Formats: sequence, structure tokens, C-alpha cells
Amino acid sequence: MFGLIGHLTSLAHAQAVAKDLGYEEYAGQGLEFWCMAPPQVVDDITVTSITGQVIQGKYVESCFLPEMLAAKQFKAATRKIINAMVYAQKQGIDITALGGFSSIIFETFNLSQIRQVRNIHLEIQKFTTGNTHTAYILCRQVEQTSIKFGIDLSKATVAVCGATGDIGSAVCKWLDARTDVKELVLVARNQERLQELRSQLGRGKVMGIEEALPIADIVVWVASMAKGMEIDVSTLKRPCVLIDGGYPKNMSTSIQIPDVYVINGGIVEHSIDIDWKIMKIVSMSAPARQLFACFAESMLLEFEGWHTNFSWGRNQITIENMDKIGAVSIKHGFRPLIA
Amino acid sequence: MIGQIFAPFADENIDYRSETYRDAYSRINAIVIEGEQEAHDNYIQLGELLPNLKAELASLAKMEIRHKKGFEACGRNLNVIPDLAFAKEFFNSLHGNFQKAFAIADVVTCLLIQSLIIECFAIAAYNIYIPVADDFARKITEGVVKDEYLHLNFGEVWLQENFATAKDGLEVANRQNLPLVWKMLNQVAKDAKVLGMEKDALVEDFMIQYGESLGKIGFNTREIMRMSAMGLVAA
Repeated sequence: MFGLIGHLTSLAHAQAVAKDLGYEEYAGQGLEFWCMAPPQVVDDITVTSITGQVIQGKYVESCFLPEMLAAKQFKAATRKIINAMVYAQKQGIDITALGGFSSIIFETFNLSQIRQVRNIHLEIQKFTTGNTHTAYILCRQVEQTSIKFGIDLSKATVAVCGATGDIGSAVCKWLDARTDVKELVLVARNQERLQELRSQLGRGKVMGIEEALPIADIVVWVASMAKGMEIDVSTLKRPCVLIDGGYPKNMSTSIQIPDVYVINGGIVEHSIDIDWKIMKIVSMSAPARQLFACFAESMLLEFEGWHTNFSWGRNQITIENMDKIGAVSIKHGFRPLIA
Repeated sequence: MIGQIFAPFADENIDYRSETYRDAYSRINAIVIEGEQEAHDNYIQLGELLPNLKAELASLAKMEIRHKKGFEACGRNLNVIPDLAFAKEFFNSLHGNFQKAFAIADVVTCLLIQSLIIECFAIAAYNIYIPVADDFARKITEGVVKDEYLHLNFGEVWLQENFATAKDGLEVANRQNLPLVWKMLNQVAKDAKVLGMEKDALVEDFMIQYGESLGKIGFNTREIMRMSAMGLVAA
């Protein structure tokens, strides 16, 4: 059985979802209540591969909200993730993906040092960040959207915002090794890590976001931000593709101007409908088919019987593993969202 | 961005010998001692309502007295005199509800109060306390918490076997008693914080344990979410 640990994008979102699902006790509550709320299994999922194989899974809502970070409720935030993981393990789930901020919190707060939680020994090999598959899908989205919108990668500049993160650095490495992209622009806050990445790649221009946007043909957004940022759309190149892989979205600006294309980044479409409620809750346009690539990774690991922490640790993603997860992604009927 | 690496469950340099700590400890320690004594008495009384299980209940009761002695030693170790009068008053309402249920041989309510609410709360509190306890109390509490899981299991098994007839009674008893627990928790939240125990962590751990027990007994997710949050916000 596979598992997905997820969270909602904001307190307002959480309140609306609780109301929709008829959980009245949760619907009207503020952040303080969510800081105390326990994890819950809120969906049972059946997924069918195009090979005909059928697997079962569960969705665990951690009750974490990004506002907990903004309000410096770090203890609550870390508790949510650890408790959701213990809960998933107690449900007998073999491989669970840590969606959205879950894996970022796990890494940032060094939660791997916590192995004993109450009377449970946390088996971290049963968890995956899902980041290898997310990075792979983002790279495929870069390739396929460039073709769709007439951008020649061999003449193009691709900016990666959040370049030094686990997903961002993997995207940079893959684009460098597997495509003929002309220029890579690396955007991130930590200068030391940027220089380290640049020397690893042996290429790439380090820039601030304001400088990068006007020269980029494609921007990949994978920064960890509790809230989306406003961008000045008038500075964007035309045509330009913005692939937003943030959760919550990195860009809060809604863009509807000619020759600027916004793509829902890190999202896959499955070839066969999935019977579940959760993707409707996170506002996917085709909720029976579309899902986060990190969640799909736990499904792929379950299909293949790879019950192991395939994606784990910071900046450990290899190009070979991206190829490997990419091959099984295609095999089971997932494809990058391009529409 | 999230910020610097942060060790969320590290020892916060608590001074176990300080006046402030020992003052708070005098109330929390008393609650634990009184709680274990009342648990003993409750299991003996439950044995009268469930004569077939009298021997098993007597053995659970005996364990509670052993726990009580352990916690008395924890107080002595820090040179703290437990405020038992405070603790008796603290448990008064919950104790009263147990006695009312006992008087009319309402096994379901008695089990919900003692075997579910009190045991789940004890497990949550002991688990939150262990990482911030002094060395002496940590060892004692680690031993106690293992026993409390057995006590919880007793109630879960009986209520699961009798779920069809017990379900409505459990919901009523939950509505009457869980709000009392939140009020009790609020009364000692400041003292618990001095001991390094955060209120929201305690509530969350309680809701996890209580929800798991309700699930084992037979309630579904929707019922569990409603029951385990009952009265929390109003408290």
C-alpha cells in the first residue's frame, strides 16, 4: 500500500475544505486549533496502471499549514510532519510520499534525528520526498513546453528560481546533462550554495530574480515560500513560459497576457481516472487525472515494489535516478502536464 | 523561508531545582499521584460492575498504586511536597461523573472516563513529559507509560466487543466529559509549560491517542474528528 502525506495551502483554504467535507468542528477554527489538530486519513485511493496493475493507497492530511512557519510555530510544524509520518506507518503503509512542505520541514529541522516517537520506531525507509519524480517531470515540462510554444532550447535561457534546493539543483543538473539549453540562470537566496552549485555544474549565471526575469525564455519556479510573490509581468520576455512548481504557488500574480504561458509545474496527468477526493480539494483542473508528481512517485514505487526511500536527503538526487523514475512513470501511464 | 536549523525537541536547559520549577511541579506531581490513586479506585469499582473481569481489573488497579509510589518518589527526589488538596479539587468534576455513572451501573460511561479519557490523557502527558523530565523521573515515567497502554487496551477491547450497545452511550459520555478535560488542562497549562510541556502538543497527542482508540472501538473518521474535538474550542 502507498501513502500520501499532504497539507492545504493556507488557513482560509483549510477552513473552506473542512466546511466542504462537513467537518464542522474544524471549519470555523483559527490557526491555534490547527496547531493542535491530529493527522487523519481522509481518502482511500485505488490507482490503475496502463499495464493493468491495481494498487491501493491512503491520503493522510497532516493538518500542517504554511502560516505555522510565518507565525514561527516551528514546534507545531515539525510535530505535524512527524505525527503524520508515525500515523502513516501505523496504518501499515509501505511507502509514503511527503508532499508540499512536509519534506522541506523534515530536512530543514533535521527531523531524521528523531527515530522514536511515543511507542513507535519511525522507519524512514518507508518514506520518500517524491522530489526525484518532481524534478524529472519539471525537466520534461521544460522540454515539451519549449516545443509547444516554439522556443528553441539551444538558443534559450532557462532560469531556475530556487536553484539550490533539492528539486531546483536536480533540475539544473538534468537540463545541463540531458538538453542543449544555451544558458542556465541560477536564482536563490543563499550565495554560498549558489556558488557551490555553479562550480558543480561548471556553468550557469547567478542572478537576482529581477535581473533574471527579463532575459529568461523559460522560468522554473521551485522555491520554498510560505506565500506566493508578486512579479512585474511587464518585464517578462515574449514569448515566455513560467513553470510554477511551488506549493503554495511561487507566483501570486495571475497572468493573462499574450505570449506569456503559465504552466502548473511538477504536475502529472494519469492516463486512467483515479477515484479520489483530494485533487479536487487542491483545485486541479482535471482532478481525476492530475496530481502532484511527488505523490505519483510513491505510487510508482508501490507499482514496482520498490519499498524504499527513493528520494531522501538534501541534494542527493542523481540524473540516473531521474531517468529510472522517468522510465517507470511512462510505463505506468503518467505524463507531464503541458496544457 | 523557514529559517535556521532548529532542534525542535531538544532539552531546553530546565533548572529542575529552581523555585519556579518546583512550585509548578508541586501541582503537576500531585495531579499525577491523585490521578493514579483515583485510577486504582476506579478499576476496583469497575470490578464490581464487571464481576467476570474482577481479577483482571484488580491487577490493573495494583499497577496504578505502583505508579503512584513511583511518582511520589519523583516528588521526593526534587524535594517537592505535592499539593494534594489542589489535585483532589482538580479531579472533582470528573470523579463526580464517574461516581454518578457507577451508582447506576453505567459501565460504558465509567469505561469512557477511566479507560479512555484518563488513560489517553495520561499516555499523552507522560509521552510529552519524558523528553523534558529529570533523569530520575524519566526512567519512572517510561516504565509507567508502557503499563498505561495495557490499561487503555482493556477499555478498548471491552467497548469494541460491546460497540453496538455502547455506541450511543459513548457519544453522550464523551459530550459530558471531554469538555471537562479541556478545562482541567487549561487550569494547569501554565504549570505544564514551566515543566517544558506545551499545551498544544499535549492536546494533539491526546487527540491522536483518543482518536486511535475510538477507531479501534468502531467509530469512523468523521465520528472520531467530531468526538475528539468536542468542546475544545469553547474551553
